[in-house]
Amino acid sequence: MKQIALYGKGGIGKSTTSANLSAALSARGLSILQIGCDPKRDSTRMLMQGKFIPTVMDLVRTRGEAALSLSDIVFTGYNGIRCVEAGGPEPGVGCAGRGIIATFHLLEKFGALDGDVIVYDVLGDVVCGGFAMPMREGYAQEIYLVTSGELMSLYAANNICKAIQRLSSRVKSKCRLGGVICNARGQPREEELVAEFSRRVNSAMVQYIPRAHVVQQAEVNQQTVIEYSPESAQAEVYRSLAGRVMGNTRLSVPTPIETDELESLAREFI
Amino acid sequence: MNLNPLPVNSSRLGGCTLTGALSVTTRIRDAATIVHGPKGCSHHNFSLLHATWLDNDEVLLPDLVSTGLSEQDIVFGGEDALRKALDKATGRNVKAVFVLSTCIVETIGDDVEAVCEQEYGIPVIHIPTAGFLGGTFQDGVNNALITLAGTAKPCSRAPGVNIIGEMNLEYEVEENYTEIARLLGCLDLPVSLRFVHDIPFDRMSRLGSGQINILRNPALAPVGKYLEQRFGTPFIPSFPHGLSDTIAFLESVACCCGIDGHESVERERSMQAEMIAAFGDLKGSRAAFDNTWPGQEGLAAAEELAGALGLSPGGGSDTRLPVSPAVGTTGMRRMLHRWRRAIHA
Repeated sequence: MKQIALYGKGGIGKSTTSANLSAALSARGLSILQIGCDPKRDSTRMLMQGKFIPTVMDLVRTRGEAALSLSDIVFTGYNGIRCVEAGGPEPGVGCAGRGIIATFHLLEKFGALDGDVIVYDVLGDVVCGGFAMPMREGYAQEIYLVTSGELMSLYAANNICKAIQRLSSRVKSKCRLGGVICNARGQPREEELVAEFSRRVNSAMVQYIPRAHVVQQAEVNQQTVIEYSPESAQAEVYRSLAGRVMGNTRLSVPTPIETDELESLAREFI
Repeated sequence: MNLNPLPVNSSRLGGCTLTGALSVTTRIRDAATIVHGPKGCSHHNFSLLHATWLDNDEVLLPDLVSTGLSEQDIVFGGEDALRKALDKATGRNVKAVFVLSTCIVETIGDDVEAVCEQEYGIPVIHIPTAGFLGGTFQDGVNNALITLAGTAKPCSRAPGVNIIGEMNLEYEVEENYTEIARLLGCLDLPVSLRFVHDIPFDRMSRLGSGQINILRNPALAPVGKYLEQRFGTPFIPSFPHGLSDTIAFLESVACCCGIDGHESVERERSMQAEMIAAFGDLKGSRAAFDNTWPGQEGLAAAEELAGALGLSPGGGSDTRLPVSPAVGTTGMRRMLHRWRRAIHA
């Protein structure tokens, strides 16, 4: 079983990328579990015909943990992909990080973490220990950073490298950086910049995803690009990503760079 | 933070802020205390308070209520659980409710103050007590006393003295109080208020009327200063430890209250001399101090007492004399009885 996690700045397209990646992987005949690890709970929506599925934390809150079973928290969507949303508190109260940890414990208890590939789609940044949970022992061993060529997005990706570096120094940790996915916003020389950034942090760009209108079209139709327009060039890009992720053998301990270096790097490509 | 495990270090300078504040709020007879956190935080303290009071011959149950937070409350926020506990506690026959916070609710950012500010019909008083923020047991005591003092209004002076910050969890809390009351009685000064030991909530309104405040120990200085600022009441920084310290205590209380204390001081001196004479059988005995517990002031008092008695403390002897930070002349007498038992054992 392969377990991967996608991290990156908020709004950069992690959920869109995750859902399309899961859809492309499932098309290869693989059994996929996608887990949304963000209180915003919209990771799996495009796999569920636009439906917000009940989150694990909401179910625990309303029904109590004892009353729950596996079938209450796992929902089957497009092409048999199993979907879970961790959920969490309302904005501004409680502890979302602990919500992620509690969800993972419950998934473990139910033996839900199985299949050929588990895709963890995690909130914008590793803000506390709870959001590092998917990187911890027994969970995702390959982390993919989703970033555009914008400085702030690279900055967030670089910060996540710090978390991976820290975690990978632990004795039993198998968490490594699998690569960087460039979800382009369409600025000049963006692909070159993200490729160079990836090299500097001791990794590689595994896929360049160009900006394409079909992504928005699929979204308003509450589908992934793979489902909405399987013949499109964009769908092919996601299938290519799926192939590269499955064949990826280049796993590394990242070497995050200093902010100064990051800024001068961004200047070189502007 | 104090990580030194020696008992003398672990007694009050370490410890939990929550426990310190509870040692104060639970000694208000008609008030309830809510511990906002997991139930273990309450249980542990309930046991400690109950067991300590039993050792002091007081069969009492501390009025503690836990909000009993579970993992769900931590994830979604614990404010609802606090509101429920407050509705319940304020509906009982109590004059006030204290709300003490724990580490976890400070970590997740519950707005305890805002919940406490809602209207419940009786005073609801929040005392922040999350231990992990670096506070000690003593900080918990001080915060609780200062918060409580903030609820008392300034009022006109009346004859009498306030006792501030008694160590409610020490074994000799009553003996030490009785000794201070005796010493004050020598100067014809009544005790106005024990702030806080076994008092009804409404009596705290007397706090501002005291002529002077007598602090239990110097670590309460922030409380003494706060009271001085709020009510203009001067304070004596500590209960006295040892013979000469007791004399000095009488002199400074007399001076502070504008009383001529010479006669009382002389009577106390002769009482001390009679006491030393009564233990004349210990003169010349060889013994060493067992100073596991007492701290500086206890040891200084014991050395002075041994000198007055003609004991020769030092090495080479298997006899260990117990040393405790006993208060006043009668505290020295209790210590002498223990010494006699140790020497004649």
